[in-house]
Amino acid sequence: MKPPAFEYLAPVSLEAAVAALSNEDAKVLAGGQSLVPMMNFRLLAPSLLVDISRIPDLAYITEDGDGLRIGAMTRHHAVEMSDVVRQRFPVLHAAMAHVAHLAIRNRGTIGGSLCHGDPAAEWPGLVLLLNAQLKTTKRTIPAGDFYHGALATDLADDEILIEIQFPGLAPGTGWGFEEMARRSGDFALAAVAATICLSDDRATEVRIVVIGAHATPLRLTAAEGLLTDHVSIGAAADAAMQEISPDSDLHASADYRRHLVGVLTKRALAAAWKRAA
Amino acid sequence: MEIDARPKMIGARVQRLEDPRLLAGQGRFIDDLNLPRMLHIAFVRSDHAHARILEIDSADAAAKPGVAAIFTAPDIAGLWNPIRATSRMADYHATELPVLAHDKVRYVGEAVVAVVAENRYLAEDAAEQIMVSYEPLGDAIDAIANAKADAPLLHDDAGTNVLAARTFHRGDVDAALAEASVRVSGNFRMHRKTPTAMENRGYVADYDPGRRALTLHSTTQIPGIVRDALVEMLDIPGNRLRVVAPDVGGGFGGKGALYPEEVLVCIIARQLGRPVKWLSDRLEDLMTTNQAFDEHVAAELACDGEGHILGLRAEVIGDVGAYSVYPWTAAIEPVQVVSFLPGPYRVPNYLGRVRAVATSKTPTGAYRGVGRPISTFVMERLMDMAAAKLSLDPLEMRRRNMVQADEFPYKTASGIVWDRAGFMECLDKVASSYESLRRDQTAARAQGRWVGIGLASYAELTGLGSRIAVAPGMPVNTGTETATVRIDSTGAVSAYFGIASQGQGLETTLAQVVAEELGVRVEDVDVIQGDSAAVAHGTGTYASRSTVLAGGAAINAARAVREHVIKAAAHIFEADEGDVDAADGQVFVKGTDRGMSFRELARAVYSEMGRLPKDIRENIELEATRMYDPYFGTTTPASHLAVVEVDPETYQVTVQNYVVAEDCGRVINPLIVDGQVHGGVAQGIGAALMEEVVHDGAGQIQTASLMDYVVPTAAEIPAMQVHHLETVLPDNPGGFRGMGEGGTIGAPAAIANAITDALAPMGIDINELPITPERLFRLIDGK
Ligand SMILES: Cc1cc2nc3c(=O)[nH]c(=O)nc-3n(C[C@H](O)[C@H](O)[C@H](O)COP(=O)(O)OP(=O)(O)OC[C@H]3O[C@@H](n4cnc5c(N)ncnc54)[C@H](O)[C@@H]3O)c2cc1C
Repeated sequence: MKPPAFEYLAPVSLEAAVAALSNEDAKVLAGGQSLVPMMNFRLLAPSLLVDISRIPDLAYITEDGDGLRIGAMTRHHAVEMSDVVRQRFPVLHAAMAHVAHLAIRNRGTIGGSLCHGDPAAEWPGLVLLLNAQLKTTKRTIPAGDFYHGALATDLADDEILIEIQFPGLAPGTGWGFEEMARRSGDFALAAVAATICLSDDRATEVRIVVIGAHATPLRLTAAEGLLTDHVSIGAAADAAMQEISPDSDLHASADYRRHLVGVLTKRALAAAWKRAA
Repeated sequence: MEIDARPKMIGARVQRLEDPRLLAGQGRFIDDLNLPRMLHIAFVRSDHAHARILEIDSADAAAKPGVAAIFTAPDIAGLWNPIRATSRMADYHATELPVLAHDKVRYVGEAVVAVVAENRYLAEDAAEQIMVSYEPLGDAIDAIANAKADAPLLHDDAGTNVLAARTFHRGDVDAALAEASVRVSGNFRMHRKTPTAMENRGYVADYDPGRRALTLHSTTQIPGIVRDALVEMLDIPGNRLRVVAPDVGGGFGGKGALYPEEVLVCIIARQLGRPVKWLSDRLEDLMTTNQAFDEHVAAELACDGEGHILGLRAEVIGDVGAYSVYPWTAAIEPVQVVSFLPGPYRVPNYLGRVRAVATSKTPTGAYRGVGRPISTFVMERLMDMAAAKLSLDPLEMRRRNMVQADEFPYKTASGIVWDRAGFMECLDKVASSYESLRRDQTAARAQGRWVGIGLASYAELTGLGSRIAVAPGMPVNTGTETATVRIDSTGAVSAYFGIASQGQGLETTLAQVVAEELGVRVEDVDVIQGDSAAVAHGTGTYASRSTVLAGGAAINAARAVREHVIKAAAHIFEADEGDVDAADGQVFVKGTDRGMSFRELARAVYSEMGRLPKDIRENIELEATRMYDPYFGTTTPASHLAVVEVDPETYQVTVQNYVVAEDCGRVINPLIVDGQVHGGVAQGIGAALMEEVVHDGAGQIQTASLMDYVVPTAAEIPAMQVHHLETVLPDNPGGFRGMGEGGTIGAPAAIANAITDALAPMGIDINELPITPERLFRLIDGK
């Protein structure tokens, strides 16, 4: 479990980093929490690592109107501890407790998690839920367009994610985040995140995202459409189960994952409903 | 300074002496050892479960930078004498223990080629270039299929895949079953587990050509056994072959056998004349460290109308993997399932049959608890099933059948003898909160919560003496340990042992024992262990033996030295020996202010010429070596109680509460006994809920990282209450019973019973462990 030899570069500007990435088999190194294990398993053998942690001003949490802009090098733990995140996007705050263990949250970055694109990771689902924009060195990509499949993003080889832009939530938006994992800190067997806006006890604006039950995070649009009043939570949860086509793996069969998505959708919607004003 | 003022070191919550070193990163582990000119090994390991090796092409690898040598099985033939785990047991077939696979591979992960290079990185780079071609020999991964007569043979020379078979028999089971008013039965399954010590296995061999001497630094639990085996294998005399276990980060049995890599580093170091290191990475550890459990048990229990056990029948198939491990043999794990199955209960009629079946998987060995986690799981499930059928409370069911105080010594249906120990007392102790827990459960059920309570009682034989071998018929004496206690010319006390600590706190407990007996302070005693050169014969740490055997030897040796301390001091003080005492590092005349430190005494004895007349001096020896043999061994009983809650929708299981009452005789250090129980229970919870080595149909290991092999973290382990009972043990110098494994023995059963209890309204029996959320989903969904 030792990686093959590689070159290492730690540029101090984005321009230099992008230039270095034009080398064949070059890879961005952020927190190293996903990349380095893959290198140790010799599943990846980049010839050059471009460490972006020395580039100034890539780690920040900044208010932008009602929304937030978060730098790609921001560590999970910084998000977890941020007051403004807790006030504006409590769902982000709540979800952070499910991202790995403290030691990994201290090193791992949002950008790394998003660019790695594990189907069971929280961040890819959260940016979809919150309708975020992903700003890179070349362009700005809507969250819904970022993934092509498991561990596959729309990024070019020499493109660096620099910022995630979260538009403000409508006042009174309720949220829910429900996850089932084998142990605390494990990747999700399945997780469901939801936001709801209410008007006269009717749902007006609903977003439901499922994690871990598909190659990419998935919006459950049929379930969203079925959620009208509180009673319809059950129907929406049933629809969620039909909307996904999960895989079986070592830890959960497709049937159990489907079952979990039903349970977690119900719980996430109930929690969101309760929190919505 | 009256005798009553003596500090009582035994029984004190002494903080572990090794912890400042280990917690501050000052421990010295195998990987901290870097010798000049040292080479590193990376292995090419089999990616087939059962195949013939056709060709190995290592030409490209040999040309890679930094590569010193490449070895295959033919390259080392003639450099070592092969060894087998022999046994006098009938119906046992020893297998070879290849150091590198030759002709055939028998499990995924078996070492085929060793690449030796200047560092591990270069060794792995070169290993990647080696091509091994195989001819598959057909699947041999299913133990039940492999037990059949026409199954493909894993070892042609054994002539069968059934490497060991045994039957335990008492009374007439058929008649007992026929007359019983209640019969319960089940097919029980305990899946395969792996020890996952925090530190992986690792070895450094250092050969000194000038002295023709070899030192092996090893993560082993059994330095003495490894030394003795290597003497045979390498033709190096024991005085030039030393096996040293430095600080070792956990073993749990996984480091308690002789390993191919351990032998190979020695062969290569001698051949190349340079030190050689191999340190397992986690992937190798999950593939190659001896694994555990993996039994299929069909069992039936019969009772009369009042719940008294009439008979018990069991048929066990143990999947022992590809080789019979040295020195314990393939019988060690599965045979204990049948020998301990009757548990702490009166079972008048018993028939237990076991077969240890070879499969193309990693060998199984002696993992914490050895067989008894399964025997306890099966028996305790049967007890609950019978209780349910009789509408009897599970606690009452146990009370009616447990061996009572007036029945000791009690010979079990399999022939084990229980000496007097607190069987019922442990059960009563965990039951003290039983009524109120049942009330809480009723209230929780009324709210729709799935809460369950599970009990498990067991007894085990620990600290085995020379009358009983740890594994049946094995040629290694596991029944004695030796200690040397020495006061040197500075008055410092050293105590030498043949055991080896992997973090259990033996440096502290043994120092407490020596300090207590000798009259010095705990911190004055240096405990030397984990070194085959420390004593003439010692076998190491396994089978809950170290405190019993090494502690007993320590008492015997320390008492012998103390006699001489008193004798010398009496002469110097011109007092009667009966008036001289030692405590707290001082030797003194009782009731006076005359005293001196151990340092002063040692100076007087060793250095200050003329202080003692020649005839007295020649009879003072401030060093003694003594042996201890518990002969049969000591009985350790315990009862466990688990409270679990199952999420009625996700089926996530949470262990809410856990109570243990155990009787390990005289407690040397409650802090350490608590720690051993906590760790054991944590591993038992892992076995019950999470940990499973999974193979696909072709024998490929699916759980090849700690993402997929799921070990509990602190977050999954509840706070525990541990009660200690201290039943007196006659004819035993310290009164200590062994207890290192017990937590792992009780927890799977208690949790299986608790979950079954939680699901009782649905009538679901938990007879397969680990009971993962997926398995619960299938059981509940199937209802
Ligand atoms: C034991 C363990 C448990 C874990 N559990 C979870 C969990 O429960 N949930 C979860 O979500 N994650 C989990 N993770 C993963 C963790 O969140 C990682 O931190 C994260 O996936 C990667 O972040 P990183 O900064 O370490 O990225 P790196 O490992 O450095 O990089 C990951 C990938 O992204 C690329 N990359 C990184 N930054 C950029 C960028 N700015 N632009 C372009 N490409 C980039 C890299 O080239 C690489 O391909 C776990 C990890 C471990 C080791």
